[in-house]
Amino acid sequence: MLKRILCLTLFALLSAACAAAPAQAPQADTNAATDAGPAVVRIGWAGSPDTLNPGTAVLSEAYTLFELVYDSMYQLQLDGSYTLELADSVDVSDDGLVYTYHIRDGVMFHDGEPLTAQDIAFSYNLYKNQEGFPFLPVYTEFFDTIEAPDDSTVVITLTDAIPNIESQLIFLYVLPEHIWGSLEGQANVEFENTEMIGSGPFKLLEYKQNEFARLGAVKDHFLQGPKVDEVIFQTFENQDALVQALRTGQVDMITEMPNTAAPSLKNAENIQLVSGPPAAPSVTDIILDQVKPENCPPDDGKCTGHPALLDRNVRLALAHATDKQNIIDVVLLGLGSPGLTLIPDSLGVFYNSDLADYAFDIDMANQILDDAGYADTDGDGVREMPDGTNPLIFRMNWPSDSTNAPRMAELLAATWAQIGVKAELQALDPDALTSICCPAFDFDVILWGWGSDPDPNFLLSVMLTDEIPTGNSETGYGNPDYDALYKQQAVELDKDKRIEMVHEMQKIVFDDVVYIIPFYAQSVQAFRTDRFTGWQTDKGKIALEDPSSLLVIEPAK
Amino acid sequence: MLNFFALKKIGWAIFTVLFVIVLNFFLFRILPGDPARAGIRDPRLTQEAQQQIRERFGLDKPVINCFESLNPPRLGSCAINPLQTQFFVYIKNLLSGELGISYHTNRPVFDMLRERLWNTVLLIGAGQILSIIVGMALGIVAAWRARTAIDYSALIGSLTAWSLPTFWLGIILLFWGSHNLSLPVGGKLTPGASFPNSWGYVHDALLHMLLPTLTYTIIFVGEYMLIMRSTLLDVLSEDYILTAKAKGLKTFQILKDHALQNAMLPMVTIIALNLGFTVAGAIQIETVFSWPGLGGAIFEAVGRRDYPMLQGAFLLIAVAVVFANLLAELLYSYLDPRIRTET
Repeated sequence: MLKRILCLTLFALLSAACAAAPAQAPQADTNAATDAGPAVVRIGWAGSPDTLNPGTAVLSEAYTLFELVYDSMYQLQLDGSYTLELADSVDVSDDGLVYTYHIRDGVMFHDGEPLTAQDIAFSYNLYKNQEGFPFLPVYTEFFDTIEAPDDSTVVITLTDAIPNIESQLIFLYVLPEHIWGSLEGQANVEFENTEMIGSGPFKLLEYKQNEFARLGAVKDHFLQGPKVDEVIFQTFENQDALVQALRTGQVDMITEMPNTAAPSLKNAENIQLVSGPPAAPSVTDIILDQVKPENCPPDDGKCTGHPALLDRNVRLALAHATDKQNIIDVVLLGLGSPGLTLIPDSLGVFYNSDLADYAFDIDMANQILDDAGYADTDGDGVREMPDGTNPLIFRMNWPSDSTNAPRMAELLAATWAQIGVKAELQALDPDALTSICCPAFDFDVILWGWGSDPDPNFLLSVMLTDEIPTGNSETGYGNPDYDALYKQQAVELDKDKRIEMVHEMQKIVFDDVVYIIPFYAQSVQAFRTDRFTGWQTDKGKIALEDPSSLLVIEPAK
Repeated sequence: MLNFFALKKIGWAIFTVLFVIVLNFFLFRILPGDPARAGIRDPRLTQEAQQQIRERFGLDKPVINCFESLNPPRLGSCAINPLQTQFFVYIKNLLSGELGISYHTNRPVFDMLRERLWNTVLLIGAGQILSIIVGMALGIVAAWRARTAIDYSALIGSLTAWSLPTFWLGIILLFWGSHNLSLPVGGKLTPGASFPNSWGYVHDALLHMLLPTLTYTIIFVGEYMLIMRSTLLDVLSEDYILTAKAKGLKTFQILKDHALQNAMLPMVTIIALNLGFTVAGAIQIETVFSWPGLGGAIFEAVGRRDYPMLQGAFLLIAVAVVFANLLAELLYSYLDPRIRTET
């Protein structure tokens, strides 16, 4: 009997294998026919795009592919500057409200159709009007009309003059109207876009979700054709396997790795490890609940934060009692830099590096609390409020899916205990954390973080008084001077003046100790030196999967 | 008699699946968290956009009559049209074979499950069969040679293998195999590789399967070995085995004709159960070896509160387990006629 069961199962298995085989084998054969020894770059990463539809994609892996397969009006360089991509020039009206882009000739989509101004206007209008695209309407918020009077001119009329139209346009990828135009309403949102026809320097050849994406070079791309023939992004669901794949030469580059792998890869043969600020700015923050009773959101606010955190002296003492370098050494194994404000160093010129950080100094922190009247009246090692009530015991929470936060919480609790502040540590499910965070303000301290656009506008808005009831403000901070400066910089068309204002805003929130920023984590990547040369490692930021590297690398001799 | 027995069992199986269908729906809605926001902590997701997502996936409708939402619990009107509730829409779609659209990937759940199911069945099925064969063989040898060095080493070996953490063994084998044997580190096939013929394709697939299958086999061989050994030891101590020996039958004959068949009952249960769970995949092995199977998909779907994907996957697992159980029961009655007369 058993024999029969086994035979049946074996038969089922074999038929499964056979059923799967023919579907893929011919595909592999066609590949063989077209190329004799192509230069194929294999890149390993730990994620996979959620979808290939630029309107609904969320994950950064999707955006990495979009950057390679699509073109936009501007291209973001690694040094933070922008260059025109689809247009060769732009005229801006004196009032800063009308942008007239002159589109390059001879730009072709991967299916051979020409890319014209109509495609661009169509795409921007789609992003603006399609309610089912959750994020993109933000970028078209100030666009009044987008028109294409002829095949090579796009005119964007704004409702307000804004200083950062480049950063608004870089993520608005230009789609072919002859494909997307036939989709109505909801169909745009549900479109899987598995062909992914774009006009970029790479075209999609083959895609298997959660397995790999295979891109072929568009050698005659109007700006610059890649020197390699193919790029394959392969998904490894576990980062140790990713590192091993690089060691054994199964991939040529990895976009991420656990920091613990960095020391051993440093000495590995034929492998170069690189680290630096990431291309997509990110920041890890220690959120201090300081919402004032008068600012407590009337509908959703619980505002149970510890009253001591409203006092700048207490926040300042906590900052002095935070050993950032130790946190970086322990949590990131040194692969990070101490943070100042919510605006990270990866925002380039907008980052105010002139601020002098609060030194790690337990004595000074104790002195500040002593002077402000917070004394340990009952001798239990924890200070009380100046009126002798309410000991300084802070709830400290972090998202349970964070790998860094638990260790960081322990380190913080240890140094804060030395100044008579007790932290009660508890990880929370990210959803639960959101519900206590904001606009509920039902917490004392949260360890969390942000990812950001290449423009600082969004991160700056997080600290506005107006954002307290919306849930965007996590600290509940409110400062009319800061709010006023924010409004000014948002319409300041002179770039240098705007940078000056943004720096001033950082100084304000740094002086007020709105957040304690333990570190800006670095991007850590590695590549094989014996396979391809030309990886861009000295351009300020580290993003080897960016077109800036993939367009110029060539096989090692 | 047999027909009535079989019909009763099949009836119970159908009832169980129906129960799971209902349970599946409520189970995931009791979880805290909002699918319109899960996995995306982007405050730029405006209220309107969130509302749009809810409407799109029908999450704006009440969960069921009298309940607006289960977590947080919110009561609602009981006098609404049941067809306007999430529950009945779910049942209606299911009856028409619709598993819904994944919240995360915007793709039909049916397509996603189908792609991954074959991968999982291939990998876990191969691992199961290997561990069943090796485990049973080891168990038989150990029982026949009970309390000898062979028995003890098989016993210790199996216990050790069974207690190894799966992910740990997987990663050790991965390092060892990729370094010493140049085996692939992960995936199902070499992406973008060109194969001159089907043998090249099969060869590549087998290389990719080798390490994960080996891991699976090592971990599960112990379970089969231990059960086989202990049940066979029980049987071998019976009087009729002694009689068989006294009759001068050969070892092989005693095992084959007298002992094994009686020792098979517990094995059938465990094999059937394990085969049923095969479709659930092995999350740890699939993750270590980046195998695009169902286990990994379920893991990811939980994190993203991807209700349709979870409902689809759990339904699939439930059907597989119930079916395997049914098969075991029917087999049981065939192997041991006492069972069908007693019930």
